[in-house]
Amino acid sequence: MIHVSKITLAAICCIFMLGGMSHAFAQEGAMTDTVITHSSDGIFSSTASYTFQVNSTFKNTEVGKVSYIVTTEAGKKMKSDSVKVKIGGHGSGSYDFDIAGLQPGFYKINFMVNVAGENDGYDDTLRKAFGIKPSQITSQYGKPADFESFWHNARLELDKVNPEYKVTEIPDTAKNDKRRVFKVEMKSIDGLLIRGFLTEPINHNKNKKFAVLLGLPGYQVTLGPMVGNDPDVAIFTLNIRGSGYSRDVINVRRETYIVLDLEDKNKYILRGAVMDCVRAVDFICSRPELRHDNIIAAGGSLGGFLAIATSGIDKRINFCSAANPIFSDVRNLIHEVDWPFIDIRKYVNTRPGLTMDKVMDNLDYFDAKNFASDIECPTLVGIGLVDNIAPPNNVYTLYNGIRAPKHIIIFRDLGHEIGKKYSIYEGRWMRDTFALF
Amino acid sequence: MIPLHYFKIKLKSMSLLKNFTKTLLVVLILILTFQNKTFADGGFPVRPGRLLISPSVSYFFASSRWDSTGVKKPFPNGGKYSSIGATIYGEYGISRRFAAIVSLPFVYNDFTQNNTKSATSSGLADLETGIRYYLANIDFIYYFSLQGTAITPLYSNNASLGYGEEGGELKLAFSGSGHVGDLSSYFNASDGVRQYFGTNGPIQNRYNATYGLSLDEEYENQLSVTVSGINSWSNDKSFNSAIPGTNKDFSFLQASLSYGHSFSHEISLFLSGGEFLLGRNTGVGTTVSLAFVYRLDYR
Repeated sequence: MIHVSKITLAAICCIFMLGGMSHAFAQEGAMTDTVITHSSDGIFSSTASYTFQVNSTFKNTEVGKVSYIVTTEAGKKMKSDSVKVKIGGHGSGSYDFDIAGLQPGFYKINFMVNVAGENDGYDDTLRKAFGIKPSQITSQYGKPADFESFWHNARLELDKVNPEYKVTEIPDTAKNDKRRVFKVEMKSIDGLLIRGFLTEPINHNKNKKFAVLLGLPGYQVTLGPMVGNDPDVAIFTLNIRGSGYSRDVINVRRETYIVLDLEDKNKYILRGAVMDCVRAVDFICSRPELRHDNIIAAGGSLGGFLAIATSGIDKRINFCSAANPIFSDVRNLIHEVDWPFIDIRKYVNTRPGLTMDKVMDNLDYFDAKNFASDIECPTLVGIGLVDNIAPPNNVYTLYNGIRAPKHIIIFRDLGHEIGKKYSIYEGRWMRDTFALF
Repeated sequence: MIPLHYFKIKLKSMSLLKNFTKTLLVVLILILTFQNKTFADGGFPVRPGRLLISPSVSYFFASSRWDSTGVKKPFPNGGKYSSIGATIYGEYGISRRFAAIVSLPFVYNDFTQNNTKSATSSGLADLETGIRYYLANIDFIYYFSLQGTAITPLYSNNASLGYGEEGGELKLAFSGSGHVGDLSSYFNASDGVRQYFGTNGPIQNRYNATYGLSLDEEYENQLSVTVSGINSWSNDKSFNSAIPGTNKDFSFLQASLSYGHSFSHEISLFLSGGEFLLGRNTGVGTTVSLAFVYRLDYR
């Protein structure tokens, strides 16, 4: 063990502090840079337009370049440009970039500044994304000819399973939030037990029936009871098989879940998960106090996928809300995202005889865009332009395939998330659709 | 030996999972809109199956008038006009687009000169029945509605209760809600053209603009200001101090302030006070009213 006296320790600290101070003196001043996107949602009809601004508080003049590089979401370089810059001490520079000639689609753009001065310098990269005419984005890949019959057969298989609904009131929560809370258990396809929570506003009007929000979970997210002050809407949060409170039989590691039984589309985990959502709709429709014609399916990420899939299959859904839905246009997705293909490739490598081609053939039956064209209810979609899990190109492919009334809200600077604006719009549109004025 | 890149890939994969499962659960913000707690008769659609009943009492007082040129003068002989009204107003949402409207007023009018009652009258006045149609919305924030109303006098040979003429009105209303800082707000703006069908039956333009602000997040307390008025045109230019409400050629502009309190989702109370600001051929009125609103859902 090394013993260091207090004096020695103080001396060492002083040396480090002085060293830091001398470094700070050499670097007196700073540079900041910002990018202004000349479109509130990052969407352009033809030419993308940006202004890159650099401010310096250095004493010395800085010389270097400001540049950009545009790539597809898959990383293919499309365009680049640079300008030489000379920024005086305590000065600033503003540089306009117009990027023209790109095909409809979404692109990543990185702005870089690299300057150097007498005793200092500055390098930085700002990452943005933009879209050109996204309404024209389509996929070159169609859906399997037997897509609808595949899911129809799954539905028939689900129908053979007695749901054995078990509803248990949880009394304590109700006192606190003006809602009754119920734990719900039911049997889904393959005879698996799944669980959810139903919360209903306490209302003494016997005529009152509640619209229902079916809340669907993100990847491996546990959904408990969800409450709130809304007096018109019951909320049913579902834990799909192998997720949250429904792990009795399937209880796997996070990275394993998405590849479970991937080699067989009739056993793949998402087939059961989607049928769990349909069973949840069965449950809602079994309750006399709930409105069976006012059901909204809503979720984000995997929940967004489940909302799209369930709404495509089950016409009892009256409103669909999908934020950052994953798994759209999977054959193009494979070139654009790391997850889940890192785990899928690993899985393929451990399964003799299984190939990526076979996996992709199976995943065609679970491609969100293939459900989208079957949706008949109003649908709201939310995306983040710098989402690297549900990239905008792929989500737009899904969105453009929806033939029902639809709306998309784009968050220019967000990744795999959506902003409050989405939730507010969702609430308003849902209320209008269900005439909850 | 497990290659290094395996761990790198695994770490990257785990990091991705952690990031996006943490950020996205499920989208759940349910919006209880302010329009649910605002007073009736705006541009907002009426919920199907919802019956809104609003009994109200109002008091109108005037001791002076504007003449036909808009010059303010006291009533002759120290005249004072007052009117007490009791009205039952109802709305029922028939469907998503259509709502039925009814208004049944009872009035008691009193005119005194030199501290002596010179004229009183009372009775049911003009019944209003109508249909409101939800026209459109902008982003589910701004709503437009069109309302057709039939006016039916519930009296005969009593000029003090109204024109005694049937009439019809077409009204376009525009309403919306928003925020001012942390407070919720709403507005109603409407303009209606009303025609009475009798001899010299006036044609009127009736307008109303209200801006309301909730004083708390639960919309339990609210304040609103209203500017409203009527421009009425008729070949009959006469002015009757005793019953200024039955003059046919007149105009006025009124401003009022209202406080509303919601006891529950079903029951609210509104207290309003107003003052006539400008006018022609009408009394310089002061108004006070108290209205209860009951909302009952039948679906």
